[in-house]
Amino acid sequence: MRVVEFIFSPFLAFIIGVFFLGLFRKIVARIHTRYGPPIIQPLLDVIKLFHQKGFSHGVLFDLGLILSLAGSIVVILFLPLGGLCPLKSSGGLLVILYMMLFLPLGIALSGGEGANPNISIGISRKLILSLGYEVPFLLILLSVMSFYKTISIVDIVNSQKEFHWTLFSPLFFSGIAYFMILPAMLGIRPFDIVSAPQEISSGPQVEYGGKYLAFSCIQHAFSIFITIAIFVDLFLGGGENIFYFFLKMLVVFVSMVLIHSVFPRLRLEQALRYLWRWPTIFAFLGVIVSQIMR
Amino acid sequence: MDRKSIIKWIKEPGKMGHKYSLWAVYFCTGCGIIEIPPVITSRWDAERFGVIPVATPRQANLFMITGYVSLKTLKAIIRTYEQMPEPKYTVAFGSCPINGGMYWDSYNTIKHIDKYIPIDGWIAGCMPRPEAIFIAVTKLWMMIDKGAATGYIRYRKNYKFYRRNQEKLFGGLLWPPLYPVDENENE
Amino acid sequence: MRMNKELKRKIEEIYKDTRVEFPERNRMVVKTKKENLLPILEFLKSEEFRQLKAISCVDWIEEGEFELIYQVASLNSPLHIMVKVRIGRENAQIETIIKIFENAQVYEREIHELFGVKFKGNPNLSPLFLENWQSIPPFRKDFDTREYVKEVFDKIPRVESENEKS
Repeated sequence: MRVVEFIFSPFLAFIIGVFFLGLFRKIVARIHTRYGPPIIQPLLDVIKLFHQKGFSHGVLFDLGLILSLAGSIVVILFLPLGGLCPLKSSGGLLVILYMMLFLPLGIALSGGEGANPNISIGISRKLILSLGYEVPFLLILLSVMSFYKTISIVDIVNSQKEFHWTLFSPLFFSGIAYFMILPAMLGIRPFDIVSAPQEISSGPQVEYGGKYLAFSCIQHAFSIFITIAIFVDLFLGGGENIFYFFLKMLVVFVSMVLIHSVFPRLRLEQALRYLWRWPTIFAFLGVIVSQIMR
Repeated sequence: MDRKSIIKWIKEPGKMGHKYSLWAVYFCTGCGIIEIPPVITSRWDAERFGVIPVATPRQANLFMITGYVSLKTLKAIIRTYEQMPEPKYTVAFGSCPINGGMYWDSYNTIKHIDKYIPIDGWIAGCMPRPEAIFIAVTKLWMMIDKGAATGYIRYRKNYKFYRRNQEKLFGGLLWPPLYPVDENENE
Repeated sequence: MRMNKELKRKIEEIYKDTRVEFPERNRMVVKTKKENLLPILEFLKSEEFRQLKAISCVDWIEEGEFELIYQVASLNSPLHIMVKVRIGRENAQIETIIKIFENAQVYEREIHELFGVKFKGNPNLSPLFLENWQSIPPFRKDFDTREYVKEVFDKIPRVESENEKS
């Protein structure tokens, strides 16, 4: 039974991630008043990419990408998705925070082997951007963990089932702050500085072709899933079964797409200035208010 | 429609994948640069065919030669074309790549681009309208179905002759040959 | 108008062998010899005409001369001055004007490539547009472009016909 859970959890994440990518393009197209591609278009893209002969630049070029993909799959095993959590009794939030570092690290490792300066520019932008959103993110996690007095994410989900959602408890300001940094963590406008096709020729993905690009697309789908799942688990109550969980993720994702389709792209220093100002203020307020009203 | 038939996808996923997600390199040559943005944006939407512009040739499999090609541009086209992963398709727009078009007696443009790069489909016009570009995409789908879009296979088989034509035009190229050329050429 | 007449009088007084005309409103044409070119341009720059707009070249093949036209303008006055100089067609060379207007370097490079006029003192006269050029400069009137196309482009064989033979 446990083995089935171990296999089913990443598979579900893959399906939902690919569905979200397709829904993304469809909603953006409808906002532009045009028909878009069919919703399964990312799946067709991945199938096409696996049938192309890509070029490899060395051993580390392949291994870095595999490292990043493996990191995403391992993080999914720690998250409670509705009633399903394969690794519920080990670690919790601190392990998730540590393993989430593998996602950009793998891309950076494989990018060092590709001989294109656009890759290093893209990776430096990614690291600076994560410096920007990590500061309010860690404050939010600190406030959540000290309010519920636990680091296990499963316990946080369970105590939200008894009382009410974290968003409506004294951690209200932390929830607002998390919603404000969610575009930066997902990599969508106004913060899609990392893979900017017009500026730096798609950043770290510039030398990927064929099956490497397929793995990169799959890894992108996983990272979208992970980011939104952590938000839903910590602040929106988790969900009793898969369907409520998926419904809450859908609501959050559609609001992110609506934000993406109206904003232009910010420059890196503007993004950093924004991320260290208002979300950090709200996260501080969240820490103070939750400690006072415990 | 063909895109929804699961049996065809299960039997030959590679061919169906190449039909329904053609990613085009955003490299626009001469006059045709003005026809590509209307095709990609809202009015004549190319994304419903699966065609999106990508920023690098490493991720693309469709190359559109839109308009006249001068000698300097041909160098960039050859380098870009050789960087694309196989299988790859090229489409030529307008009358200038076909036979020189308006610049038939110019000293600096290429008259027949087929001597240097293999071309799968030609579109007539000066410039063709976006509806003509979509008809070309659907004809390319039919050619891929039949297995007749074999530009890249021709390039690999006759690489000796393509390389010789390119070298005769430029008087020596700075980059090495893509596929191994025989050593017993009189060079 | 009075300022223009004043300018014409000044130029004709200082430099010999110079003719100044006003063919249209706000257009002035100064025709000089090769030796007077640099002093006249320095004089015009010190007046107020500090912007070099372009350098063009005309091939008068019957008279056997090239005519170089230096177009200068000012930001304060609507007058557009063209300084015209004639040089011989065989072995055409002239001094560069980079010391006065630095942006003349690219215009002189283009004229050297397309007409074949040498500019003494220009640091970089390598080709801008043409690749692997082995004929006479293409903008001269005795360049036959149809012959060139037949020589260079039509002689390269198609790949399919080669393949059928071998």
